[in-house]
This record gives sequence, structure tokens and C-alpha cells, in this order.
Amino acid sequence: MCDHTNKNIYLPYLTTVEEIIDETPDVRTLRLVFQDEQVRDSFAFRAGQFAEYSAFGAGESTFCIASSPTRTGYIECSFRSVGRVTEELRRLEVGDTMGVRGPYGNSYPIEELYGKNLVFVAGGIALPPLRTLIWNCLDLRDKFGDITIVYGARTEADLVYKRELKEWQERSDVRLVKTVDPGGESPTWDGKVGFVPTILGEAAPSAENTIVFVCGPPIMIKFTLPVLEKLGFSDEQVYTTLENRMKCGLGKCGRCNVGNVYVCKDGPVFTAKQLKAMPMEF
Amino acid sequence: MQKYISEQNLHTLIDTLITTGTRVVAPRINAGTPLYEPLTSAGEMITDQLPKRSAKEAFFPVCEDIMTYEKEGQKVSVTDIDPNRFPETVLVGVRPCDAVAIPVLDAVFSWDYKDEFFLERRKKTTIIGMACTTADDACFCTAVGLSPTETRGSDLFLTPLEGGGYACETFSEKGEALVSNHQNLFSEPTNDKAKALAQPSAEKIDLKKVKSWLDDHFEDPLWDGVAVRCVGCGACAFVCPACHCFDIVDEGTEKSGKRRKNWDACGFWKFTHHASGHNPRDLQPKRYRNRIMHKFKYYDDKFGQTLCTGCGRCVRICPVGIDIAAIVEEINNK
Repeated sequence: MCDHTNKNIYLPYLTTVEEIIDETPDVRTLRLVFQDEQVRDSFAFRAGQFAEYSAFGAGESTFCIASSPTRTGYIECSFRSVGRVTEELRRLEVGDTMGVRGPYGNSYPIEELYGKNLVFVAGGIALPPLRTLIWNCLDLRDKFGDITIVYGARTEADLVYKRELKEWQERSDVRLVKTVDPGGESPTWDGKVGFVPTILGEAAPSAENTIVFVCGPPIMIKFTLPVLEKLGFSDEQVYTTLENRMKCGLGKCGRCNVGNVYVCKDGPVFTAKQLKAMPMEF
Repeated sequence: MQKYISEQNLHTLIDTLITTGTRVVAPRINAGTPLYEPLTSAGEMITDQLPKRSAKEAFFPVCEDIMTYEKEGQKVSVTDIDPNRFPETVLVGVRPCDAVAIPVLDAVFSWDYKDEFFLERRKKTTIIGMACTTADDACFCTAVGLSPTETRGSDLFLTPLEGGGYACETFSEKGEALVSNHQNLFSEPTNDKAKALAQPSAEKIDLKKVKSWLDDHFEDPLWDGVAVRCVGCGACAFVCPACHCFDIVDEGTEKSGKRRKNWDACGFWKFTHHASGHNPRDLQPKRYRNRIMHKFKYYDDKFGQTLCTGCGRCVRICPVGIDIAAIVEEINNK
């Protein structure tokens, strides 16, 4: 919950851009520090929640909080520059001021994951909503069983968090399966070549005592769900996060609904079982 | 509390309120168009025409500032809008189809996070409803279970009488306070009969039945047919007393400006358009389906209320003649 002492629910917190990381030619990560010291200490969120980020003069954009709740003192967001607000956010330099409203929405049920094996499946720019949980779990590594990450993008250049992929690859307590679409590999590529659903099928993680988190473009989700089913995962074992267009993030402005479900309030995290109960409008 | 007020005393009440600093909003003619607008004197009020837009904008304006920003080098300062900015307001001559929508909107603006812009205005506003004496072919309040004498949403309700003046009935503390603060203008109720009231011809629709059909028919050939001709102009949402979707936009320069909450409409293609280019409601019929679903199912699922009061404005204004009442009737007859 946004615990502004102020009553205006649309008022953002002010943050300072502390670090800028270019993930790909058009995807950028910003590390943000709350300017108000009290907010810096009290701002709490759970993995899976999102926020409204503003470039003053351009407006607000909705992204997940991409950093882990275990890493305090800052938050991070990763975004692709595709529109007016994100172009403006991209222009920000270290030291510039940015607005943040949030955290909003539900979150991954991390306490329910204790003792379980985890599989993360992501495509392209959809790794940030899982990265928050991945680090959350890695920072509490003892509490979980095997951790498998299957991540792919169109080309090598489109893979985000390359430093972290390397780190995960080098860790003995993580199994990273990285892939690029056919034709997206360079001669030095040391990962797989193939689409994420296919590579996931080959990696064949066991469904026993396992929870899987899937995030990617609709087409990837569509082809991944049957693969998981074939591997023996039930719909209750599969989580995803929806990324609908939002404005308020507060359950009022009326656009993020899928049927009678408000993604900003009831989501963004849903199980495949919940997803299948919704009308096909996402 | 039941009372009587003469036409002249109603005008005196309005003028007294205005001179003592209360904002009085009522139907008046602006460049030929009837609209709910602040009055400068009671004589401007009209009671025989339905305003082109609804009374919701007294609580939820078309455009509204929610903060301002100023940039100085790398720093930005943000200024909240003064929470005491809303003046005490009395809405007079509100049609039942408009008044009844206001408590319906309370639900969305007050659940979970509280939208003080709407709720503060609600606190500071007294609504004087007025029974409706004129209906046209587009009116269908009677279809959605309401009537020209519906009092829900009104703090004080006026019914025009045959011999002139109004029978008054209070429905809240605010309504009672208004009467007791101006006691000399009200007298004891009379036995006079109510003036001939409007009689919309629309037959009652079984809203439960409509909802239960909608529950099971997200996919149905009906949707392909209802709104192919919709041009996505959004006018239906803008004139609707219950539509409340909005956008949040920044307006200003590099240096300074304001953030505003502006009306939006589910009929606009961009309403749900993702940055990726994907659009879950990519076709006009899907957007229109959402409009019907939101009004007759989703809002009911969430808040137990229907988002349509049968005012008929969307029917009158639609440039391609889409008739929501006819569509809901068709569903009712399935």
C-alpha cells in the first residue's frame, strides 16, 4: 500500500536516478533512490508488484518493480523505449528526478514456495517481472529446492540482464538454460538455439513439488502452457503475470480489466487456473 | 421531512445561496445547449430540458488537475492540489436519472484507495433532485428499474405540483440541514396533486436475467453484430451519468506543468493498447462488448450495482444510431 500521509492517491514519490544500465540497444534499467529519507526506509513491496513511473511533463508508465524486495534502499525498473513516456524516461540522466507511485497489485506467494523447486520461464523483455522473484529466492536460497531458469530472446543482443545471466550460469545452485531464436545466435553463443517452449520441453524440469513462473509475450505463453501440461504441471502449479495497459493502478480508471477481473487489483500475478477461468481478452 | 416550496421561494433560496458564497449548479442554457453549470442567478435555471451531459461532472470533471510539477535543473518539485479547494455546492434540478448515478459512482471512487477528488466534492455537495416532467423516445429509466420520481441520490427531492411550486421531501441530513437553514422559505406540505410527470414508454427489463445471460456469453454472435458500425468516438461515455473511466496525462512544458485526470472511454482503440502493439480489445465490437459488460455485469459483480440509469443520452448522441436499450432488451428476450 502506498502510505502517503497525503490524501491525494495520485501523488508520486520523488526518486533520484542513481544508476543507468543499458540492457539492450532499446531496453534500459534505472536504479532509483527515494529522495525522502523516511520513504527510503519505509517503502516496502513484495515481488510481483508494480508501480507507476513518471517522467514529469510526459506522464506515467506502468512497469513491475524489477529489483528484489530483499535489496533495500532503492528500486529498479527496466523498460523498452517505445512511446512518449518511455522515450522521456530514457532521456533521464544520473541525478535526475523521476516520480514513482506504488507499490500496487498482488504479488507472488513467496511463503508458499518454501521447500519447493522453482522453474522460471521468460522471453525477451519479460524477464524483469521474474527477476524480482529470482533474486528474492536466491537471497533466501536455503528455503528452496532446485532453481531452474529458462530464458530466451530473439537474438543475443535482446537478452536483458546479461551480467546476471552470467552470474546465474556460474552459480552451482542455479540451472540456467538460455536460448535465442534460430538465427539470433552469434558464432560465440554458448547457449541453446530454439524457441523458449521447445527449449523448456527439452530441459524437462520435473513437475514434482515444483512451481513454475512464466512470463513472456502472449504467443510464448500460448505455446508454453501445453508444454508444461505435458511435463505434468497442473494449472495450480503455474503462475504468470499479466501486463495490461494501466493508468491509475488503483482499481478506478477502468482499462486493465479482463472480464470482471482488474489486473491492477486482483493481479498482476495469476495462476494458469485463474487465467483459464477468464475470458480470452488479454 | 416533507415540505412545500413555491417557485418564487426556490429562486430566493438559490439566490440566497449564491450571495452567501455557495456554488449553485443547475441546468442552464449555454450557447443554446442545456448543461449543468454554476448559476449567477436563479433566473438562469431551466427545468424543462435534460442537460446534454450528466451531473457527474460536478464531482468528476471532464479535466481536473491532480498535481503540478516544476523542474529546476535535476530537481523536480511536485505540488499537491489544495484539499480545501472544493467550494460548498448545491446541485439543483438534478434529473432522477442523473442523481441516482452519483451513489453508484461512490462505490468505485471509495473502494480500497479513496479518490479524494471525487469524495471531497461529494462531502461538500447537496443534491436537490427534481421529478421529471418530460420524456422522449430515447428515455428508458423505466426499463432499468428506475422512474421519473426516483429519489435515490437526492438529499432533497422536489416534485412539481399542478398548482405551482414543489412538494419537497428530504432524504438525508444534508437535505434536512438545507431546509432548516432556510426555514422561512419552506412551508407545510399541501394536498396539491403532482404535475403530470414524464412517462417513458420503455418496458421493464429483468436486469438479473440480462446479467445471467452476460455471465455465460462473453463469446456470442450478438457481439459481432451490435457495434460493427461503432466509430469509436466515445461520445456515449462522455454523456453517460455512470461512465467513469479516466486517463492520467501530463500537460505542460519541459519546465513546469500539471498532471491531470481526464475522462476517457472504452470505445477508444488506444484505451487498452499495449506498448508492445498488442491490443486485447483490438476490434470495435470487443470494445462495445466491454461497455455492455461493464454496465450490466462487471460493475454488478464487483459492487452489486448497474452502471446504467436509462437517461438515454448515449442513444440520442450516437452518430451511428447504436441503441443500448434495444441491445439490452434483445438480451432480455433471449
